[in-house]
Amino acid sequence: MKNSSSRGFITSLLFLVGGLVAGLLLGVILHALTTGKFSANYFTDVPSWMLGFLVGALAFFYGLLGYNGVVRGLVWQVVGTLSGAAFVTLVRWILDTVGGGEYTLFDLRNYGLSEPAWVFGGLVGALSFMAGVGAVGDWFKWAKGDETHDHHPEEPTWRTYFGVSLDHKVIGIQYTMTSLLMLSVGGLFALIFRTELALRLKPDGPSMDIISLNLYNSLMSLHGMVMIVSILLGIAGVINYLVPLLIGAKDMAFPRMNAFSYWVTIPAAVLLLGSLGFGGFDTGWTGYPPLATRAPLGMQMFYLGVWVAGWSSILGALNLITTVLRMRAKGMTAFKMPIFVWASLATSLISLTATQMIGLAFQLSMFQRLFGMPFFDVAKGGNPILFQHLFWFYSHPVVYVFVLPGLGVISELLPVFVRKPLFGYKWVAMSSIGIALVGFLVWAHHMFTSGMNEYLRVPFMYATLLVAVPTGVKFFSWVATLWQGKITREMPTPFLFLLGGIVVFLLGGLTGPPNATVATDLHLHDTYFIVGHFHDTMFGGYIFPFFAALYYWFPKATGKRLNETLGKWHFWLMTPSFLILTLGMMRIGLLGMRRRIADFDPTLGFDAWHVILTISAFGIALAVLIFFFNIYKTLKSSEKATGNIWDSRSPEWQVPSPMPAYNYEKEFEVVGEPYDYGLPGSTYVKM
Amino acid sequence: MSSNEHSHSNSLFQGIVTFVVLAFLTAVEFFIAITNASLLLLTTVAFIKAGIVVYYYMHIYKLFEDEDEHAHDHNSFAWKLATNRLGLWLFIVSDAFLFGGLLVARFNLLGLTRPHLDQVLGLGVTAALLLSSFFMNRAETLMAQGDRKGFVTSAAITLLLGLGFFLGVVFVEWPNAAHEGLTASGSAAGAVFYMMTGMHAFHVLTGLIFLGIIIRNALRGHYSAEQHWAVEAATVYWHFVDVVWIFFYPALYLIGRLGG
Ligand code: HEM
Ligand SMILES: [Cu+2]
Repeated sequence: MKNSSSRGFITSLLFLVGGLVAGLLLGVILHALTTGKFSANYFTDVPSWMLGFLVGALAFFYGLLGYNGVVRGLVWQVVGTLSGAAFVTLVRWILDTVGGGEYTLFDLRNYGLSEPAWVFGGLVGALSFMAGVGAVGDWFKWAKGDETHDHHPEEPTWRTYFGVSLDHKVIGIQYTMTSLLMLSVGGLFALIFRTELALRLKPDGPSMDIISLNLYNSLMSLHGMVMIVSILLGIAGVINYLVPLLIGAKDMAFPRMNAFSYWVTIPAAVLLLGSLGFGGFDTGWTGYPPLATRAPLGMQMFYLGVWVAGWSSILGALNLITTVLRMRAKGMTAFKMPIFVWASLATSLISLTATQMIGLAFQLSMFQRLFGMPFFDVAKGGNPILFQHLFWFYSHPVVYVFVLPGLGVISELLPVFVRKPLFGYKWVAMSSIGIALVGFLVWAHHMFTSGMNEYLRVPFMYATLLVAVPTGVKFFSWVATLWQGKITREMPTPFLFLLGGIVVFLLGGLTGPPNATVATDLHLHDTYFIVGHFHDTMFGGYIFPFFAALYYWFPKATGKRLNETLGKWHFWLMTPSFLILTLGMMRIGLLGMRRRIADFDPTLGFDAWHVILTISAFGIALAVLIFFFNIYKTLKSSEKATGNIWDSRSPEWQVPSPMPAYNYEKEFEVVGEPYDYGLPGSTYVKM
Repeated sequence: MSSNEHSHSNSLFQGIVTFVVLAFLTAVEFFIAITNASLLLLTTVAFIKAGIVVYYYMHIYKLFEDEDEHAHDHNSFAWKLATNRLGLWLFIVSDAFLFGGLLVARFNLLGLTRPHLDQVLGLGVTAALLLSSFFMNRAETLMAQGDRKGFVTSAAITLLLGLGFFLGVVFVEWPNAAHEGLTASGSAAGAVFYMMTGMHAFHVLTGLIFLGIIIRNALRGHYSAEQHWAVEAATVYWHFVDVVWIFFYPALYLIGRLGG
């Protein structure tokens, strides 16, 4: 029964190719049918390719798994989308026939169906996915008054990861793998449009060499949001895997909701990427009206995808806060919690509340397009600045969602590698909460040039500069922790990534205040300087610590240690490439390179710079490929690492790796301070 | 037996007092609106009303109750109950931000003007919702006393009143407003009005479904005086939807002067 439906990896790859070709052909045929003529150009059209990718992915997973888990979810999503769209079309047709008008059932230029039909279809499709994959079944049973069995964890096989599991460790790994997948997709997008920027095949005048303007804009916009989703999934992965282990809980407080939070990101990702197949969109990740009101249908799919993904953030945060407040081991008082748990808590407070605002902003903009509700239409009394306020009320605090867990990882792991207590534990713990709270008061620093009321500028400027205080606390603590630490000569890879993270995040932090100061921001806004700034903060605060965490806890999850040599290659290739990339961005930004444009004036003299930046971007990509290869190689090898290889005091390392399905056989008790490394006779937990 | 009787009439008394105070404050609101429509006064009254609902109907203090000694056993009912409560309240906090965002949109776009709406109808649906909260509170109290039949009756009345609210807003107020020229696509005021009432009505609808589920399950013999988490959750959720209306009603019907 188990293996009858699986066809092996190679066959599945053949399925992938077959599906791709079939989907592409189907796209071309549909294209020809809807326009009434055939053209060879259709073979290069993005929608056809997107259909090809969808069918190809489906076929691949079908080959791998049979009609199970994620495959059934995706099939249901496709069927649900089409039925939802057909339903709206039918209703509109009936209403119109009754009303005596002449409604065209199919609007052939618009992918066959109208915009409301596709949007409703997209929503129904996402819900269908959840039903199809099996993430909501238990709740229906509860509503019917039936009992459900609590799960008995068993050792996962590779198949477990492609279907609904309630085990937080499985879900954590599912999140992490999906995050890495999204990272690759978003990175690929960036490589494509960076290549376009570097090329100037037609020497004079504007030059689009490999992609169209629309595709450039769509890829650039999607790069932003796909990466954000990837980050949100990545932190959810680490948090899900680690927090229950760190606090000694058997699982998260609401395991079914946990599974729901993970699985809902899959239809969200499909919608998000699907926007490419619906004409793309050109607003950047911010989706500002009024441009959004005129963008192609892809805009709606983007909005909907983010809206659906938002539910993952909200419910995940709810789950985490409840878990931390209710399920800590005996003796783990607030100030004995690991710093990473504090950071997760702070992050979740933001996700829980602020996410509603981006959801609302996007929903209002969707409704403006769907029903003509003029929220942001000045001619009818609307106000586009309102969108920006709602949007940034989420999107500024969310930058702390991205970095707080990463900064938590740095504080969590530095003491392990320098064999010294963490400096100023309480201050570091409170600084996470402080950053999260002050972070709510600064959103309008993104709007200095937007035309908002001018008297708002200065208060928001000072509030922004205030965030530097709790952030400074963290830096102070790291430096003081490193001071006179016992650092071994052959610096293990996770430690390297921690140090890289500190340096890069420092660069990101230092380039923040110039943006927050009104006088300088009026010049810097919408230049590459901003792009450099936020890539530094996100890499320093998320990417580097995330890789540190992966290298550090990979043995815990798998019982095998990632190869050190490859790890060093990864680090020493990625770091310089990245520094050249962002410092270069900042330089040409200061000289006047505008962000989010597909082409630039050759007389600015940035051509050589863009070539350098593109090469650096490929350097980062290569480094990440080395990391993937490392994972593959390590999983293949038979070398085991089951013990406490980092000599950590943390409870999860006191039991053998990989982590047993039941976590801890007996509950442990916290008897000391978490970070008293190097102090003789001190213990943190009693197993 | 007699002590049971006592607590019975006691909780009934408390429910009635709470209801009368809320009704009185609503009348005060209306009076303020007629005389000067002060933003400050109306907001203050709304916060007082919301505070009363949150305390006396939603029993927020249960979140902070000390647990008994079995509390550390994660399989015990008491532990699960307290955990579920926390989860539900966190959800409500999150949802409150959504409605807060809608209020921000309303004041950003319309300032201190308000759309032209049918005041009688507005007061009518508000009264229906207020009354439904009273019966919801009765229903929960009766279930906590083990009176399943009483629960079903009160919950059914709640459901009918809620349905009245929903139908009143969507099928009377909306066509009315549209007839008066306030359309969703015509002006920002219209857009705000339909968005706010629509989002609230959607929550009422989910509350009604929730109510339908617990009534059905109660009729099939589920829930007891000690174990009725689903009833408590539906109750708290229903009152939350009421709290939202406590802010939306003045924001849409009372605050500011009539605008175009
Ligand atoms: C000292 C701390 C920081 C300060 C003072 C600061 C300030 C600013 C300001 C004022 C802007 C707007 C610039 C403009 O568009 O004109 C900005 C943009 C941005 N910052 Fe920061 N920032 C800080 C830290 C961070 C961190 C930690 C992150 C994320 C991890 C971050 C992510 C971003 C992003 C994503 C943008 C660009 C948003 C867009 O697309 O327009 N910043 N920063
Ligand atoms: Cu910001």
